[in-house]
Amino acid sequence: MAYVTPFTYRQGQSLLHLLDVRCKFFMICLISMSMLSAHLSACFFYFLILLFFFNKAGLNIFATLNSIKYFILLLFFIFIARALTVKGDILFSFYGMSITEQGLNEGILVAFRFFLVMLTGLLFSITTKPSSVKSAVQWFFKPIPFVPEKRVAVMISLSLGFMPVILKQAKEISDAQKARCSDLQKNPVKRITRLVLPLLKKTFLSADSLVLAMESRCYNDDRTDPEFLPSGKEIPFLIGSFIISLSLACL
Amino acid sequence: MNNSKQLKMTVYTSLFVAFIAIGAFIAIPVGPVPIVLQNMFVLLAAIILGPVWGLACVAIYLLIGLAGLPVFAGGTSGIGKLFGPTGGYLLGYLPAVFVTAAISKGLGKRMSSDIIAMLIGSLIVYAAGVPWLKVVTSMTYEKAFAVGMAPFLIGDAIKIIAAAFIAKTLRPVIKL
Repeated sequence: MAYVTPFTYRQGQSLLHLLDVRCKFFMICLISMSMLSAHLSACFFYFLILLFFFNKAGLNIFATLNSIKYFILLLFFIFIARALTVKGDILFSFYGMSITEQGLNEGILVAFRFFLVMLTGLLFSITTKPSSVKSAVQWFFKPIPFVPEKRVAVMISLSLGFMPVILKQAKEISDAQKARCSDLQKNPVKRITRLVLPLLKKTFLSADSLVLAMESRCYNDDRTDPEFLPSGKEIPFLIGSFIISLSLACL
Repeated sequence: MNNSKQLKMTVYTSLFVAFIAIGAFIAIPVGPVPIVLQNMFVLLAAIILGPVWGLACVAIYLLIGLAGLPVFAGGTSGIGKLFGPTGGYLLGYLPAVFVTAAISKGLGKRMSSDIIAMLIGSLIVYAAGVPWLKVVTSMTYEKAFAVGMAPFLIGDAIKIIAAAFIAKTLRPVIKL
């Protein structure tokens, strides 16, 4: 999926790369929750910390911002919507709409919070292998009853494996149809069915042979548990994230 | 359900999870707004996999996104997205997929019943998504409908018709 999204895992040896994935999960939950009530100064402080870790992970912040530009556009709309709808002291008005001081402040704050939560998630996706995400999900689901955590983990890794295959086949099919002038077809229903039907048929047939292969290798849910490799810095990181989220929530 | 059938459903469900995830990237240019196929795959998962596995399919999709893998629209992920402005649509997939599958199964898996089921399913997605959008961005209801529902209605109608055709052709091939 490399050409589709810049948000996939990148190899590295930074602190965050080596940190235990369960610890990272916990930190991301803690910080995202406390972000909901954060003030502007605390947000800015946290933004500096994020910048430090982006730098540590060997990522260019400007390239990253460029790759999420559509999201930033959405944030801009949220900002506008807030600025126009919140009542307060009117700064200036035009065509019957007025922008208020309170609205501006609140708009900036809300957009900045979303932006920071987004960047945190991005940092996590970039520094964490999909396979270790899968094992962490399995580990977290273990104590929850009625959830077959091993099957969930298998389904996650299967679907992650299917994604590049499907994308490749979708590209092949659409290329083949373009070569047959499918662009001239105006009926959108026909365009969709002619792309999706062969795609589904192809992938389901290959899924059938995957089922056969798994069956013939005696696949069942009774599998070996995943191993975790903690880097030994989990405790300071957890304490650090706890302090950060406390200061975000209370400052 | 025997072991072999269960394994088959496991693999098929994972396949649909992958389809929903990449559905956000497969766009067909029709007019000014390209049609993104993600919600069509959610509805297809419902009418092909049935209520239980369909629900599992969407739940795992959301779980993967929540766990930080880039599967939500635009390659994003994480709690922030799920509680962000468009999170209501994502969470709305859960009840939508179950209801669509239940109706399609109850009415006997014909093309007309599939269309009715998918119409109701799409309405559920909007019923969850639009109020969520309104609360998060503090727009008025008229604005939220204008931004979060009206531009997609024509595309949705096209997708539902296409999905009904696809389901009709696919059912004999997949043989569940």
